[in-house]
Amino acid sequence: MTLDGAMQLTTLMMGMAFIQQSLEHLRPAARPAERLLFVPRLMLSALLVGAALGLPIPPLWLLAMLLVNHMVILHFFAGPYNGGYDRMSLLILLCLTAAHAMPQHRELAFGYLGAQLTLSYFISGWVKVVNPAWRNGQALRDVFRFSAYPAGENIRGWAQHPRLLLAMGWAVMVFELAFPLALATRPTLILALVIAATFHGANACLFGLNRFFWIWLCAYPSILWLQERVVFPLLP
Amino acid sequence: MIIRLIQPVFKSLALVLPALIPSWRFFDAVSASPRLDYVLLAKQTDDSADWRPFRPRPERLTFPAMLRRMLWNAERNESLFLVSCSERLVQNPTAHSQSEILRRIARHLAPQADATPFLQVRLRFVLPDEDGALNSHVAYLSPVLAVKDLL
Repeated sequence: MTLDGAMQLTTLMMGMAFIQQSLEHLRPAARPAERLLFVPRLMLSALLVGAALGLPIPPLWLLAMLLVNHMVILHFFAGPYNGGYDRMSLLILLCLTAAHAMPQHRELAFGYLGAQLTLSYFISGWVKVVNPAWRNGQALRDVFRFSAYPAGENIRGWAQHPRLLLAMGWAVMVFELAFPLALATRPTLILALVIAATFHGANACLFGLNRFFWIWLCAYPSILWLQERVVFPLLP
Repeated sequence: MIIRLIQPVFKSLALVLPALIPSWRFFDAVSASPRLDYVLLAKQTDDSADWRPFRPRPERLTFPAMLRRMLWNAERNESLFLVSCSERLVQNPTAHSQSEILRRIARHLAPQADATPFLQVRLRFVLPDEDGALNSHVAYLSPVLAVKDLL
């Protein structure tokens, strides 16, 4: 995958993810001030999708305006609206803006996104595996039993299956910790990304974290490019 | 004067840095979980204790509904934001967190405000005790407020 192709694909996917979440903020139940912030975000994102599809619009200005809009939104909510989703959104936006603003350093800017994507899985696995409650399955049981995350009461019933949750918890930890190893070959990386996307899809279904699914997928082209650019030349 | 000028810059940096250098500590520990309840009142002096959970989860979430929520999940995402606001209200109380909770609940209940124009909100935290039974304690109780003042 070329750098231009990977950046174009990430730009297209991010624009579409921003359109999806902007529309959620434009429902009539939202406050007028909130809707006012997401109308420009929707329009800029639609233009960005157009630019990624080949319309003659310079993406740098759209990205810069989206960045300003994102900062205003962060101030409006006094922080992220949906935690890690907002952080990944802003990270992708910052990396793409930097890559377009500093063409001589664009490999560094876009590669940083790929590196952070790898870390997002590895560190998530590390903080779990060092916690005894995750190792003995109690933490995942608590997530289903009383945390605010299960999206339906029937999903809480999973807490009654401790062995299943213990196996699921270890499967998640092993996968997250082993993710950097998947960079060794193209087939293993593609398989790892398919598993990771399935994991995000399961989180979206069970916990209602739909935005995480879409935004993490947006960063996948960066790691596919980074593997070719950095990892393959290092391998014998 | 200088501090007033650079304060927004520091605030913006504080908001950007966690994205630029993320911690990625998802679900590292499961702590007490917030629940928001409300009571709608006909008069400001009513002392009804008819607390109801705000936006309870569906008893049964079907797979087709889960798939629909992949594309449209506005209420659920707002509820997750209110979880963040609830945690902020306890860990680092600000007028913003309190206002977001009250205003969003009031907007949700506005259609019922003709008959019951006053609202009170409480925030509980649920945690298992030593025997594993789930207990909750009230961490915040709002004053009784007119719904129309919160819209």
